[in-house]
Amino acid sequence: MRNKRLLLSALACMLGGAAGAQGIMGGHVTGNIQLDGQMSHADSVIGAADVPEKLKLNARADILYTNGDFSAGLRFEAYQTPLLGFNPQYTGQGIAHYFVSYKARRISVTAGNFYEQFGSGMILRAYEDRYLGLDNALLGLNVTLRPVEGLTVKALAGKQRVYWDYGQGLVRGMDAEADLNSLIKPLADSKLHLTLGAGFVSKYEDDESIPSAADPSSRLNLPLNVGAGSVRLNLDYGHFTLQSEYARKGQDPSKINDFIYRPGEALMVNMSYSRRGLSASLQAKHIDNMGFKSVRSQAGEMLFINYLPAINKQYTYSSLTMFPYVTQVNGENGLQAEVAYRFKKGTLLGGKYGTDVTLNASTIYGLDTVQLGGAGTEGYSASWFGLGDHYFTDASLEVEKKLGKHLTLTAIYCYQEFNPAVEGEDPGLYHNHIVVGDLHWRVNKKHTLHFKAEWMGSDSRYSPDEGLTDRRAGDWLMGFVEWSLGRHWFFSASDQYAYNDGTGNYPSVAVGYTHGTTRLQLGYGKQREGLLCIGGVCRPVPASNGLTFSLSTSF
Amino acid sequence: MKRTILILASAALLFAACDKISPDSFTQSASGGGSNWTNANVHRAYVEKYTGPKCKNCPMADVTLDAAHHQFGDQLIIISVNHPTGQGVPWAGEPDLRTDDGSAWSQYFGISELPSAYLNRGTHQYTGSMGEIVADIEAAINQTPQAGIAVNATASGDTISISVDVELFSQFNDGLTLTLALTEDSLVYKQSMPQGEPDENYVHNHMLRDVITNTWGEDIPMDGLAGEHKVGQFSYTVTNNDIRLENCHIVALLARKSDRSIVNCAETTVN
Repeated sequence: MRNKRLLLSALACMLGGAAGAQGIMGGHVTGNIQLDGQMSHADSVIGAADVPEKLKLNARADILYTNGDFSAGLRFEAYQTPLLGFNPQYTGQGIAHYFVSYKARRISVTAGNFYEQFGSGMILRAYEDRYLGLDNALLGLNVTLRPVEGLTVKALAGKQRVYWDYGQGLVRGMDAEADLNSLIKPLADSKLHLTLGAGFVSKYEDDESIPSAADPSSRLNLPLNVGAGSVRLNLDYGHFTLQSEYARKGQDPSKINDFIYRPGEALMVNMSYSRRGLSASLQAKHIDNMGFKSVRSQAGEMLFINYLPAINKQYTYSSLTMFPYVTQVNGENGLQAEVAYRFKKGTLLGGKYGTDVTLNASTIYGLDTVQLGGAGTEGYSASWFGLGDHYFTDASLEVEKKLGKHLTLTAIYCYQEFNPAVEGEDPGLYHNHIVVGDLHWRVNKKHTLHFKAEWMGSDSRYSPDEGLTDRRAGDWLMGFVEWSLGRHWFFSASDQYAYNDGTGNYPSVAVGYTHGTTRLQLGYGKQREGLLCIGGVCRPVPASNGLTFSLSTSF
Repeated sequence: MKRTILILASAALLFAACDKISPDSFTQSASGGGSNWTNANVHRAYVEKYTGPKCKNCPMADVTLDAAHHQFGDQLIIISVNHPTGQGVPWAGEPDLRTDDGSAWSQYFGISELPSAYLNRGTHQYTGSMGEIVADIEAAINQTPQAGIAVNATASGDTISISVDVELFSQFNDGLTLTLALTEDSLVYKQSMPQGEPDENYVHNHMLRDVITNTWGEDIPMDGLAGEHKVGQFSYTVTNNDIRLENCHIVALLARKSDRSIVNCAETTVN
């Protein structure tokens, strides 16, 4: 706490000096401010609860001071009280993030809060996503060295943010990445471009008493230091690219793996080919017990040291994200393939402007495991290539076609299989067929129209009497229209309607005004309950019925 | 060269920072372990609900909490506290369920609206039908317990002998208190309803009848170290003849002394 006060004092003096003597000290201040509010009232049909405080508010202001190699920043956050779906433990306000940083050619040092990632993040990714209500910034010291051209070495130590506090676990890590073409002279002009990397992260946590499942009168003998390491290879050769990373984690009994001692491992391989008008990629992922938290007894979305990327295609359309896939950190095997082709203009399928066609498919299964016991045992055994429960499959065809100089149509058909077990619900398999039509029409310089129509046919059902309470279930029709007026205004209206085997009708309207870097948006309507997922990391979005507003600006 | 040595030395230190436990050492004997221990290591949620017989919306909260109790079973412990004033004042000729201890609790939280509730005596006040409390209860239950607690109660005549086991799983730097409360189910008396006339035969459950310890509990003589275990014995004589012991429970609340938040709790019938 004393250190925090010292840092803040230093920052305040520096900013005060900058404001009062901009010409003497130089440097400049930038920042952005965002305010999101919500009012909602009870609606038993859609499952919206009453909001006793009437107004919920999330606000944040990021301020950054930069002066040559030196920078410092802070972020003020206020959740009074947090928007629906954000963890109530965010309630409060204050300086949530602060740092001072020095960045030169050979060395960078950050003291305070910082974000960092080693490789693809499988052993360490400290990051923030304001829409997920997720912030696992580290508070500590982060040093990056570039001793020679082509070699980067990172070292860090700190504790992770958890709402308005910091987890007790101490995270230490080192990572090195070598660009071989820069380091080895004979490779400098090679068509083959190679990058090698390796990292290691260790967390330390005090002992605690966790009962054994087999014998409640015994407690677990916990590893206080848990390590995770990874090696990675990235390769470029002409049109081909290979990205790969293998990670392994030591014994890490924790709440999320039910306190078992099985070591974790993960492999991610991504091969792609790309040339003008054609691209293809194949991605494979294997995860086995790789949830890695800095506090072993913490469930929930916070305090993850690592990040396991999603393998399925990330869509933005409502119907395609109705049943999003949640990465299973305890174990999954997955494959994704995508081919994108552009039919040239002037051809039969290309027409006057050309046509883009994308085929994508992914499938994800759980591990094929043999159970060995609960807390205080190895947990299970599993083979690398064995397939367990079917979690998710999708296959989609997307066609983007410019119909006229100012008219673009995107059409998508997608078939999905979704197992609610990935959300912790009873296992099953929903089969969904989804069709999306999206039309952008720039009428003239002042007016743009945007239409979206979506349909989803699903064998999932909403029937509370039978215990089927998922309000996303059933067959849906969705419509959206948006009118943009000049550079400043937009008006939109949308509706989502469960017309068969489902429940709820979710109309909403919105208006927005943009001026320079300032944007104000006001909406009114119903929000369907569901999950908001970004990169396989999700948070629940409860149903709501009422007003929302958002204001953002930067300077 | 010096820099390279420094980097390599740091890396070596870091790689050493990984413990490996052999399979025959995954578990060790717990330091404690009383007769109730198999119940003690469960994390339970505690809801302290403030209610009143003239509160029209209180039955709505009862619906929510009854459903939650059905969902979470004995991992959810509820105490209904009759608010001392306003809508908490009993109807004429009806039993008075207000207690001095309950009034002190109500005053501490500054209760001015009924129904109100606190989960584990946290900072968030739930009001109205309290729909959002269910998810919070689930989240609280899913947390790993920082301490275990179990309670046993046997009656001989009007005297109840109570045994409480407490074991700390984590370190506590501030003091802990133990509060024992007597609650009673199946009390039938007049209650205002959200619509229409009051229900003359409304069934009230989890009603606070008395606090056996001090209002905010007794200090527990522990050092706050992980692994510490204490067994406490208490005796209580029921003096209110309206109380039917067969409908009663003893609730044990383990709380932090500093902010009175609940660490864990347990409940037992009176045998």
